[in-house]
Amino acid sequence: MNVEKIREDFHILKKGIIYFDSACMSLRPKQVIDKINEYYTEYPACAGRSIHKLGNKVEDEVDDARNVIKKFIGAKKSKEIIFTKNATESINLLANSFKFDKVLLTDREHNSNLLPWQTKKYGIFKVNNGFNIEKFSEIVKDYDFVSFVFTSNLDGYTIPAKEIVKIAHEEGAKVHLDAAQTIPHQEVNVRKLDADFISFSGHKMLGPSGMGVLYGKEELLEKMDQFIIGGETVVNSTYDSFEIEKLPNKFEAGLQNYAGIIGLGEAAKYLSKIGLNEVHDHEIKLVKAIDTEGLKVVGIPGGGIFNFNIPGVNYHEVASILDASKNIMIRSGAHCVHSWYNANSIGGSCRASFYLYNTLDEIRVLNEELEKLKKLG
Amino acid sequence: MICLLSLIVFGVLAVFSAGYRPMAKEAFDCVFRRVTLRKCQSGLDIRVKSKIVGKVMNKSPRLAKGVHKYFEVVSWIFVILFFVSLAFSADAIYNLVVYDNCNGPDADPDTCFFTPDEIEVDCDDTLCEGGECEVYSNS
Repeated sequence: MNVEKIREDFHILKKGIIYFDSACMSLRPKQVIDKINEYYTEYPACAGRSIHKLGNKVEDEVDDARNVIKKFIGAKKSKEIIFTKNATESINLLANSFKFDKVLLTDREHNSNLLPWQTKKYGIFKVNNGFNIEKFSEIVKDYDFVSFVFTSNLDGYTIPAKEIVKIAHEEGAKVHLDAAQTIPHQEVNVRKLDADFISFSGHKMLGPSGMGVLYGKEELLEKMDQFIIGGETVVNSTYDSFEIEKLPNKFEAGLQNYAGIIGLGEAAKYLSKIGLNEVHDHEIKLVKAIDTEGLKVVGIPGGGIFNFNIPGVNYHEVASILDASKNIMIRSGAHCVHSWYNANSIGGSCRASFYLYNTLDEIRVLNEELEKLKKLG
Repeated sequence: MICLLSLIVFGVLAVFSAGYRPMAKEAFDCVFRRVTLRKCQSGLDIRVKSKIVGKVMNKSPRLAKGVHKYFEVVSWIFVILFFVSLAFSADAIYNLVVYDNCNGPDADPDTCFFTPDEIEVDCDDTLCEGGECEVYSNS
């Protein structure tokens, strides 16, 4: 993987910033931005409604993007790909439309995979220092649905999803994986995993913001009720009834974010071309290059995210000082995993998250600045 | 204390530029919370402190350590200096308005920059009438 060549595609990096906040929002390459512009300049029309040339072109581009995403995650059919606003909306759709009795969550869920389930019957499975598969086998017997964070946005820890899905299925439970931090960073094949549902966002995988995906097995999506209804979700309607559309339109109500869909397809193409295994290895190499001496590592180390605190220096101060001194952008706070921070009595922490465009040179600058920051404490 | 300083600085800047008004508002909110014995929630204090420490750290990590450690003390010193300076200024303005001398009625007028200069006018000047000489101020 030629990082220097990749960096040329990211205009913003020429401004001298060191961007370590990709777990929140990734940067976008020129190719994705150009593709979005192409929609607005060349064929800014509706898909699925208008039969004129522009409408047909949009329809083709949207279909193409759906097929790209299908291949990208190894889904069986393109109609199993539902476009949403983001992973949060995907999970809300699932939580409100899929019928289940009791859901099991981990203790390190992002608010997006915790709050939508809190109105249902739910249980919490503690991951602690690593996923205990034996304990899970015992507990999952009491649940008919599992919704776990695949890779945590807290520390980059990835759960053994394949085993989890296998065990859950043996116990008769369906599995949803919040893969917002997995899909952008490592190869995921939903058929090999046998996951029933997967949700992820576009903005963390070089795609536009305001785009997300819910993958679901066709037979399960068919059984699900609609969550939001309106234009394009019905074949026909009368004053007192309507006939529901087929997948995927059934769940894609109203005029869609066509530029976003097309841009997301382009982002997936870009990542596929580079190879997600290489991206993953590169991120691990970057994390390993961080000098952790004198830092308090938060969470389970080993993933492509580095979560830490500097004793004696407030986490928000660390982030602001790094920004002011060397334009290093990291995130500070509870990273939308407030529940875990509260349970562990940690006010917050600093999170440096990496992606394919980050370099070892940037890590060297981070190490130098962290060294100075340690002395402030 | 940095919130109070920020309120003063941004408050003045906000008079001339709308861009500083949200910051002044944030600083006011922060000060209001502090005087009502609550914690400043906006994070303004941390942001201002970090920005200063970050810039100083580029020049001298040692000095940055001092600024970081004694930031509250340094802020207090600046606030006290501000109010002392404000009191002296108010006194000087009062004296200047009342006595034409910012140092008071009995002070040497030469020590006050704002005291109007007195111009001696030659008695032979056509403005002097009846041999009596008048003194005109140049202000």
